[in-house]
Amino acid sequence: MPANSALFAQTLTQWTQGTWLATVPLWAWALVSALIIIYMLALPFGGIATYIERKIAADMQDRIGPNRVGPFGIFQFAADAIKMISKEDYVPPGGDRFLFNIAPVLVVVGSCAGFVALPLGQYLVAGDINIGILYIMAVTTLIAPGILLGSWASENKWSLLGGLRSAAQIVSYEIPVALSMLPVILISGSLQVGEIVKQQGWNPADPIHANAHFWNVFHNPFTVIAFFILFVGGLAETNRIPFDLPEAESELVSGFNTEFSGMRFGLYALGEFVDVFVMCALVTTLYLGGWQLPFLELDKFWITLPSGLIALIHVGFFMGKTLLLVFVVMWLRWTLPRLRVDQLMGLCWKGLVPISLFNIVGTAVWMWAFKGQSMIQVLGSLFSGGSASH
Amino acid sequence: MSNGMKLILLIAELVTVGSALIVAINPNILYSAVFLLFAFLGVAVMYLFAGADFLAGVQIVVYVGGVTILILFAIMLTQWLYRLKLKDIGSKFVIPGVVLALGLVPFLHRGLTELGKMIQATPPEKMAEFAASPKTQAIGKALLGTHVLPFEAITILLLGALVGAVWLARPRT
Amino acid sequence: MNVLDFANSIEGYLLVSSVLLILGIFAVLTRKNAIGILLGVELILNAAGINFVAFSKYHSAALEGQLVTLFLILIAAAEAAVALAIILRFYRLKQTIDADEASLLRH
Repeated sequence: MPANSALFAQTLTQWTQGTWLATVPLWAWALVSALIIIYMLALPFGGIATYIERKIAADMQDRIGPNRVGPFGIFQFAADAIKMISKEDYVPPGGDRFLFNIAPVLVVVGSCAGFVALPLGQYLVAGDINIGILYIMAVTTLIAPGILLGSWASENKWSLLGGLRSAAQIVSYEIPVALSMLPVILISGSLQVGEIVKQQGWNPADPIHANAHFWNVFHNPFTVIAFFILFVGGLAETNRIPFDLPEAESELVSGFNTEFSGMRFGLYALGEFVDVFVMCALVTTLYLGGWQLPFLELDKFWITLPSGLIALIHVGFFMGKTLLLVFVVMWLRWTLPRLRVDQLMGLCWKGLVPISLFNIVGTAVWMWAFKGQSMIQVLGSLFSGGSASH
Repeated sequence: MSNGMKLILLIAELVTVGSALIVAINPNILYSAVFLLFAFLGVAVMYLFAGADFLAGVQIVVYVGGVTILILFAIMLTQWLYRLKLKDIGSKFVIPGVVLALGLVPFLHRGLTELGKMIQATPPEKMAEFAASPKTQAIGKALLGTHVLPFEAITILLLGALVGAVWLARPRT
Repeated sequence: MNVLDFANSIEGYLLVSSVLLILGIFAVLTRKNAIGILLGVELILNAAGINFVAFSKYHSAALEGQLVTLFLILIAAAEAAVALAIILRFYRLKQTIDADEASLLRH
């Protein structure tokens, strides 16, 4: 298999050396880590996100929101899950049972598989594969067929309309999203998420990191634009307001998931929240420096911190940045009105695609003109009288 | 490569072949399209095991994210909900189809055995090294270096296809 | 040679690609639906791609085969887009996508 699993294997052998754990084969570890990722990260996030979203919505509308189950209603998501599991398992009579069953699974698999390549911390990547960004893009494409097939299998006009809208929207917005990732790949010369994050540290005093620059969003004027395009495109790809045409309540009842009930609806909802998280984490990784702290490096701190604490702080910063973006997504939901279909497509093809193409050319020219230095490095060398050598 | 890895590869190959079989013989065109998706995924895993990690990603993004969605989209637009006409294998062509497809087998067998004689065996360690090396950078350099002409030709082809598809599918004036 | 080793050899890859080619040709020949024919063509193209990638690893251990497959994937995508545009246009004209109905050289 590709060399990328080597790091994982190496770390494992170091940890398990001399214990009975060393006899456990690698694939069993992979299976266990996959289960841990899904059950410890993806599912609880999806559950808690519903609670947070309802609380934020309540705050913005001056209501109280869920407050019955547990303190501040914090266990509401568990109650919801139990309710969904215990509901009747219903397939519409004219519908297609096979497709109806596999469609929500495709959505959940597509969104949860993205977790594998997310860099939660410096050494906390389940698989730091060398096609990391491409991998995340590839697995999240499974969501679109899931939505489309579910909408067809429901045997319902509104569902089908929602599914067709969703497919057109996701296929179209995939293009600006992919094009907006390219400036970062141009800058870092790698698709590997660990490498991309590592290059975004900034410490001018440290000669080892002379090539590292600050967060990619501040690398040059074009990446600032690309960051916003990536975020907007990500909103559209995850079917969030203002791009939630596939499930527009006022037009299509509930869109592609109209006929879904019980745990199948739960899987759709979960898949959507996990997808939002993966999208925000991807934006954080590419543009906001991942687990890097602004302006300091913990391993070069004036007091030596235990490595476990450093890892925890890194995870905290990554999660903080990502959840901030998730909060913005939820905030937008109660702020912006929904677009029309023609406005949606117009925005993508006439607005975002040309601008992101322009960004790629602009970033390439910047890399050539300033020898790959970031905006901050260029300004710094200007103010220090141009003494910094190229 | 460990036996577990080989087992995964075997499963991927079986999934590919089984899905392709359903694509070819299932009378329901929608099911064919769905199983085409699984065949694409199986092929992507096979690429991964042949050391083509970048290609595997491209395969999934382009085929699953693009081609399959387009095909499903076209099926749903043309076979509208209450006029389901999904059964579509033309009975008069089944016998010639089987004969022609099976008639290929001897030719394929002959050609592949001849090819097999011509292949000089690559040393296994070289093969393993090739399979383990990351390909993205090498492919990028090759595309803008030795293979720049086909690359440019492909860009023109893609532009032509984009414009042509938009022109063909435009609303009737 | 046991089954697992066969799966991880060039013979295994070539067998899968041959089966895909045969099934693709079968689908192209027997489908009446234009989209069904397109599905068969995609299978054939994938069979070719598997061959190139397999030879790239097991025969030459060089990158050329993968480059050809990359071009092949891109051409297949362009082909699918144009074919589906034609199919949608044809559907608008005839209200069917039965390939047997496409017997006129004008519209």
